[in-house]
Amino acid sequence: MLFHVNLALREKTAERIMRLTLFSGLATLPMIWHGEYALGLLTLMAVYGVLLIGLDATVGYLGQINLAQAALFGLGAYGTALAIQAEVSLPLALLVGIAAALIPGVALALPALRLEGPQFALSTLSFATLSVIFLNESESVTNGALGLSIIRPSLLNILLDSTRFYWLCLMVLFVAWWASQLLLRSRFGLAIEALRDSPTATDALGIGTLRHKALAFAWGSALAGLAGALHALNFGYLQPAAFGYDLMVILLLGTVFGGRRNQWGAFTGAAVITLLPNLLSNRTLFSFLVTLGCLLAIVPPIRALFSRKTPSFRQTAPVAAMSVALVLALFASNVEEWRKGIFALFLFAAVVGLPDGIAGAVTAILRKLIRFAPDPLPVASGGIQPANSSAGLALQASKLRKSFGGVKAVDNVTLKIMKGETHGLIGPNGSGKTTLVNLISGLYKPDSGSVEIFGVRPIPGSLMSAFLAGSARTFQNLQPFSGLTALESIMVCQREGGISEAMGWLNTAGLQEKARLRCSEMSYGDLRFLEIARALATRPYVLMLDEPAAGMSKPDIIRLVDLVTSIKRAGITILLIEHHQDVIAELCDLVTVMDGGQLIAQGTPEQVRRNKKVIEAYLGSDETATQAKSEMRTQLC
Amino acid sequence: MNAELLALIQMAVGGGLMGMAYALVAYGFQLTYAAGKAVNFGQGELVMLGAFIGLSLAGIGLPYWAAVPGAMVAGAALGWFVERAAVRLALQQRNEGWILLTIIVGLFGVSAAENIWGREDKPFPVPWPDGALEFFGISVTWPELAIAAGALGMMALVELAKRYTMPGIAVQAVSADPDSAELCGIRSKSAISLSWAVSGAAAAFAGTIIAPVTTVGPTMAAALTLKAFSVAVVAGLDSGFGLVLAGIALGSAENLSGFLLGSGWREAPGLILLILALALRPQGIFGKKIIRKV
Repeated sequence: MLFHVNLALREKTAERIMRLTLFSGLATLPMIWHGEYALGLLTLMAVYGVLLIGLDATVGYLGQINLAQAALFGLGAYGTALAIQAEVSLPLALLVGIAAALIPGVALALPALRLEGPQFALSTLSFATLSVIFLNESESVTNGALGLSIIRPSLLNILLDSTRFYWLCLMVLFVAWWASQLLLRSRFGLAIEALRDSPTATDALGIGTLRHKALAFAWGSALAGLAGALHALNFGYLQPAAFGYDLMVILLLGTVFGGRRNQWGAFTGAAVITLLPNLLSNRTLFSFLVTLGCLLAIVPPIRALFSRKTPSFRQTAPVAAMSVALVLALFASNVEEWRKGIFALFLFAAVVGLPDGIAGAVTAILRKLIRFAPDPLPVASGGIQPANSSAGLALQASKLRKSFGGVKAVDNVTLKIMKGETHGLIGPNGSGKTTLVNLISGLYKPDSGSVEIFGVRPIPGSLMSAFLAGSARTFQNLQPFSGLTALESIMVCQREGGISEAMGWLNTAGLQEKARLRCSEMSYGDLRFLEIARALATRPYVLMLDEPAAGMSKPDIIRLVDLVTSIKRAGITILLIEHHQDVIAELCDLVTVMDGGQLIAQGTPEQVRRNKKVIEAYLGSDETATQAKSEMRTQLC
Repeated sequence: MNAELLALIQMAVGGGLMGMAYALVAYGFQLTYAAGKAVNFGQGELVMLGAFIGLSLAGIGLPYWAAVPGAMVAGAALGWFVERAAVRLALQQRNEGWILLTIIVGLFGVSAAENIWGREDKPFPVPWPDGALEFFGISVTWPELAIAAGALGMMALVELAKRYTMPGIAVQAVSADPDSAELCGIRSKSAISLSWAVSGAAAAFAGTIIAPVTTVGPTMAAALTLKAFSVAVVAGLDSGFGLVLAGIALGSAENLSGFLLGSGWREAPGLILLILALALRPQGIFGKKIIRKV
């Protein structure tokens, strides 16, 4: 950037000031801009705003395509309308609306949220279709396709004319926005961001994947119900068909166009989808805007051409989509007939070319132009504390078996680790070490056999249950929370303590300098340390480290040995998988060797190193060596 | 046999024959899922467009036997286009954007169909004789028989091609492991494109065999996508077995529920089945379980 402004404000404060300005502006607007029509549009925008904040919880923050929001909106609207027909008071009718969306939403969420990606999208899509069928067919209650009419009652004896109703909607939007901001900045919000990147890690670290997903979905459903309630009061007439596929596409357009995972995105999206249908009826204005969109879309590929690169698909596809839209705007006999097609083209251009939406793009530009005051780093406190040092068994695996198809990955393994012991687990590649750790930590369910951690038998195949018994682990293939900073990654894993304790854990792992760095920007070695710090922050009794030194540089390995030594000194039991023999020799009290899914030796590092079977497993026996040699000879001859 | 029971059986048989067409559309999902782990959320739109294109080709005077392959070629082109425009980029970035993008491309297809061919449902002419065949008191019309024969024939043909032609074997290699296939000199991208094209052709063909029974209209698309999904999910997205069975079951169930509960409820059993199948056994009744690796 050529220039930038330094602001003594923090970004959070600046955003808050902007939001307050926006809302006071919106609240005073009806006094300047008269007319029922304008007021209707503003009210609709506020209602859509609430709805889209809810949709962003799933589509944005959970990262799952949720196609049920339009139907939940409809259920909320019908709930309120029926409550008002039954002559209950307005606040109660609003609550009924929320419940009418929340209850089926949660009923859907519990099975659906075990699913990922296309399966989740599908289950929400079938739920949406079913809801519309239900509203259409329950004629005795909903009056079916003929529709339902209500008259807006007064609120606590205040007559709600359209201006006052607009203010009510605006107030609801303000509160919903503020509440979701609060929610998403809390530990709950961090957990949702974390589980999007690695649901396995959030379960293994006891954050609770399913619980958070269900809560996020419930929050989105409740907002859909609330928006539906306002919608019913706003229009006074409901038809099932209005909450079908078309509305869903419009809502997706709003979310994607406005910007996902951005609080301003929902508002921007609401403004866009409120204005768009009106734009289509004004041909000149519409053509002008599409031309503008085309010109904007053409900038990135031209910039690419100037720097002598071939424009990527990401740059050219929006141009193609906008050109088709332009052709339609200029030549189609009736643009409104092409409504869906034009929405589709805009959506396509936005999803491909503007993945963060309008709000995301504007935020990015503002961040470049304005330097905000940085958030101060917290003072570190806490760190590794001595664990209870009673004697006894820390971990016991008895006769564990697990096979994949015909491969016996773990075959009748029995392993005992005493409290405070550092136990090494070694073996050639493919010998079943990681599978054994996966069985103990509950990622896999054993075919037979049992696990006991500190006297508790966790539910087989449940990461969460093994975590609750007192274990924590790291992963051989890193499972970072890419969207979080290092500090946030720790905070989301903490059971107790606040930001300064989190800083303390970063200190322990030597990452204090990188506290504000996003995981996606951190180096491989640092991420390995962060995984250990994350596991430590849960205060485990048993820590399982799966090849922590893999791919690390020599100085990093020395740092790692120091870190594990201090963990060991605190009395935490450690199960360490490692290929670096010097690391094993330095740290471990006892070593177990696996080969072909079975335990082949156990003893001190020194004993194991001399064990004949172990040498055979790693290097092969004399016989196999001679055999291999003679085979090679015959091949060469 | 009493008349009421006979009527029910008649309903079930008619629905079951229609269900084979759902199985064919669902087969299209399997093809693309195997090759690239993605499916077209706008597959129903391809079926609809295939039927309309077939109708137009017949309208300009082409005989039926030329209009159907013509529609299939167009369907293949559309399938290829969907992969190129909506799926490839998102899969490279390993995100779920393709779900949205295939919905979007399908939406544009509906809008285009509305404006090119109109919103009304149209009949689809066929060269089959008018009457119906009777088996044990159950009557079956010729277009219904054509659905069964066409769907089974098409699936058998593609399965044979997958096993005994080089491109077919290449696609299988890519679906097993795209990177290894690439190292053996197979272009993974081309193989994935090919499977999308075949999937599109199958969808268009399904359109030309469904349309004579149901008529053609832009509204047929959305419902078809969901029905085919129900079949594919119940049978398993990675199992070649069970599609036809699930299709027949769904077709019969929807006819019977339409008859017993009222026409508005026709689609409900498929949807409930879909949600249940996803909740209880996401890998499908006949599918294999996926192992998480860390």
